[in-house]
Amino acid sequence: MSKYLDILKFESFHFINSPYKIISILLYAISILYGCQTGYDLFKKHNIEIKSIKSKNADFEKKMLVQYDELEQGLIEKPRRDPTIPYWAIWNTPSYALKSPSPMIVFSTGQAEQYGYYKKVTNWSTVFDNDLAEEIANPERLALGTLDFSFVLLFLTPILLIILLFNIGGLEKDNGFDKLIYLNDFSKKSWLITRFSYYFLVLFTLICFLLIPYAVLSGVFTNELMSFFTLMVLIFLYIFLWVSIFYFINYWGKGSVDQAIKMISVWVALSIIMPGFFHQITSIKFSTNYMVDYLDVARDQRYEIFDMSTDTLQNELLESFPVLKSSVYAQDTTINKGIINRSISGLVNILNKKASGKIEKESELKNNFVRSTLLLNPIMYFQNKINEVSKADYYAYRLYRENIQNSIDKKIELILRDTWNKEEVDKERYIEYLQEFKN
Amino acid sequence: MMISIILNEWKILVRNQSIVYVSLVFMLSIISVVWMGNLQSKNQSQAQIAAEKHIRAQWDNLEPMNPHRAAHYGVYVFKPISILNSLDDGVSSITGNVLKLEGHVQNEIVHSEASQSIAISRFGKLKPSTILQYMVPLFLIFLSFGSISNDKETGRLKLIALQGVSLEKLVLSKSLSIWLYGLILLIFSIVLQLLLGSSSADFGTRIGFILISYGLYYFIVVCLSTYMSASFKNNTSAISLLLSTWILWTIFLPKIWGNTVEKVHPLPSRQNFILQMKEDRSKGIDGHNPTDERRSKLKEEYLARYNVDSLSQLPINFDGIVMQADEEYGNQVWDKHFGNNYLIYQKQKRLYQLSGLLNPFSSLQNLSMGFCGSDMIHHLDFLKKAELYRRYLIKTLNDKHAHGGSKTGEWRWTVDNTFFRSVKTFEYQTMKIKDQIENYYIDILSLIVWALFSGFLIRYKIKRDIII
Repeated sequence: MSKYLDILKFESFHFINSPYKIISILLYAISILYGCQTGYDLFKKHNIEIKSIKSKNADFEKKMLVQYDELEQGLIEKPRRDPTIPYWAIWNTPSYALKSPSPMIVFSTGQAEQYGYYKKVTNWSTVFDNDLAEEIANPERLALGTLDFSFVLLFLTPILLIILLFNIGGLEKDNGFDKLIYLNDFSKKSWLITRFSYYFLVLFTLICFLLIPYAVLSGVFTNELMSFFTLMVLIFLYIFLWVSIFYFINYWGKGSVDQAIKMISVWVALSIIMPGFFHQITSIKFSTNYMVDYLDVARDQRYEIFDMSTDTLQNELLESFPVLKSSVYAQDTTINKGIINRSISGLVNILNKKASGKIEKESELKNNFVRSTLLLNPIMYFQNKINEVSKADYYAYRLYRENIQNSIDKKIELILRDTWNKEEVDKERYIEYLQEFKN
Repeated sequence: MMISIILNEWKILVRNQSIVYVSLVFMLSIISVVWMGNLQSKNQSQAQIAAEKHIRAQWDNLEPMNPHRAAHYGVYVFKPISILNSLDDGVSSITGNVLKLEGHVQNEIVHSEASQSIAISRFGKLKPSTILQYMVPLFLIFLSFGSISNDKETGRLKLIALQGVSLEKLVLSKSLSIWLYGLILLIFSIVLQLLLGSSSADFGTRIGFILISYGLYYFIVVCLSTYMSASFKNNTSAISLLLSTWILWTIFLPKIWGNTVEKVHPLPSRQNFILQMKEDRSKGIDGHNPTDERRSKLKEEYLARYNVDSLSQLPINFDGIVMQADEEYGNQVWDKHFGNNYLIYQKQKRLYQLSGLLNPFSSLQNLSMGFCGSDMIHHLDFLKKAELYRRYLIKTLNDKHAHGGSKTGEWRWTVDNTFFRSVKTFEYQTMKIKDQIENYYIDILSLIVWALFSGFLIRYKIKRDIII
């Protein structure tokens, strides 16, 4: 045991006396801090935006409540969009679908920059609306990507390991005294493993040490403890993967230069070439979706509905929403065009849901294909896992789209229910609406 | 003398079997990557054309409709793939692909490729540009880092020096021989691209610029590598510093600088952007609000112009006039706010370009995307042209609404598809690169400065005593 401790002790001397290794590790630590800060800035930015939306909504709600008071007291005339009509009252009920960031976004911004995270929901909304576009950003900056912690971990960690490890065993080979070392009662394998373990431990400890302050700052320990633990396991496995690859390179290597070249080549292959190759193959197999099905609904099929006669629309609505059959209006023998016109969005929503379901299915096929390639694309496997624990991956945003859809459905349900029951909205009812869409 | 040294270096290269094998691997990779790039571009282009035809057919076959209703119906335009997308797709997979052009609003382009799946890569698709930007320079470093130090270690350099060969010429010749190797791989990729691409003059100009940009970058990489090889005592130090520089240039600096420029010139948040536009927009005419004050003013103006007392006496449809006034006011608002964003983009781009003085790789990346027509400048050009088309489309519809024969308030008045078919289709033409070259001056200048600096190092900073 003491001989291994000696190896570790000598390795720490070697490390402390290698200025370029110390500088590299310092630069790496700065990169981690920079990456975490980038994630933390994004976390704060999202929270500030969400807070500002909530505050604007609160102001609007107050204005609406005053308007109801004034209407009830007869101080003002009903505006063009009469708030006592359920349709306009619900229209004027602030309802934003918000995707609050997970504190784990500090460690991986994931795909957060490709999607919007707040959306005003109306009965005419869809999950692929224009206002769900990502935050305004320079496309070239987006293409370059963000230097967040996950980037530092996935791409810079192997580079740091190359700098730390390329001459481990290589220097001895360069100077021709490697064989002398193996005379010292330990095998080449255990000698190399012990030296590699030293850097493995140094690196893992450094990462843990640097992540903890940001975890505390963003509230990870109170809200996402399990996710943080999963992240630590992923970090451990990821470093282990690279250390293992480099161990074999050094074990069979012919010297420092040979090892450095092989290490950097493996890094380029796994970090740039393989992901790029599978990205290209995926693009060939699944061409960019131009959302034609969705566009057809958004335009052609929607207009077909608009062109239907009022009685056809009424029948369609009763067929699609059987609950309306017991409404007050359904018992009437005369047709009320106003009620039908205010209900049309229900029919359009059904079409929108069908189209978006088809798009999601196509994306799922693409995702399945991508997942099948991850065995040969380990870096992106880890990237997606980290994005998943940070709730900033495709699926987190799909869930968000589902929440948007639920909000749209709820709006339509309320419009249909109260319009067909010929309800008049007063302040009390409006407050009920507000409660339904509280975030 | 220099030609003999270059020829001799090439003989050594060719004799080295591993270099021959690696070169073959490179060639095969380039062939397959160029082929895949073209296949992907072809597939995407077909999908885009099919979507475009589908949408146009719907427009051409519209049921008789009120022109203003048609303005709400709108058209969709699909971002075409860039002129040299198969070589470098730049920002294409990040930006949206579908843009709705309709009345009252300037929409944003949506549905990016990146938003349609889980993460697949962080450095983009494997395009020839990936090989030419990352792999080839790395291989050139591997070839050149020991070019002088090996001769130094074996004592061959002393022998050569004793034969009276100028060391500066020797180092320069060695650099050139390795540079020529990179150039051959580059030309090979370009020729393949030419065989599969179009043959327009602009295409040729772009290819020419690409060749020069990459050629300059390879020259910088090779000269610096050879210089380091000559300046350091051993291979290990030379390769360590070279690899560190490569990592710094290609991985680290572009991201750091990219993030920094966004902080120096921040863009508004989407929420504020929309809110401010809404605020400005509310100061103009609201085409759909009959009680709007500004609308009343316009009404008085038209009644006076036509010398009539009421809207029903007007020989035109005042609703169409109001809609166009509403649109024109809106256009000023869009120009102000979108224009402001575009201005910030430009500032960010310029600041990013300046990083080329520290990092020639950034300049190369900018030029590669730019000359392939897949950078932000080309993307903004598409958006601007699409917006101009939207204005033409909506004005045509509003004019028909106003002067097509209907009277004010006749919202049920319709036009048939003969009119809709007469509306021109949006046809995007990529801008000519020669007209846009000023956007890339900083990048070009950076590469030239770096090339001169590298050449200067080789020519004047090689110290005889250090080498020998």
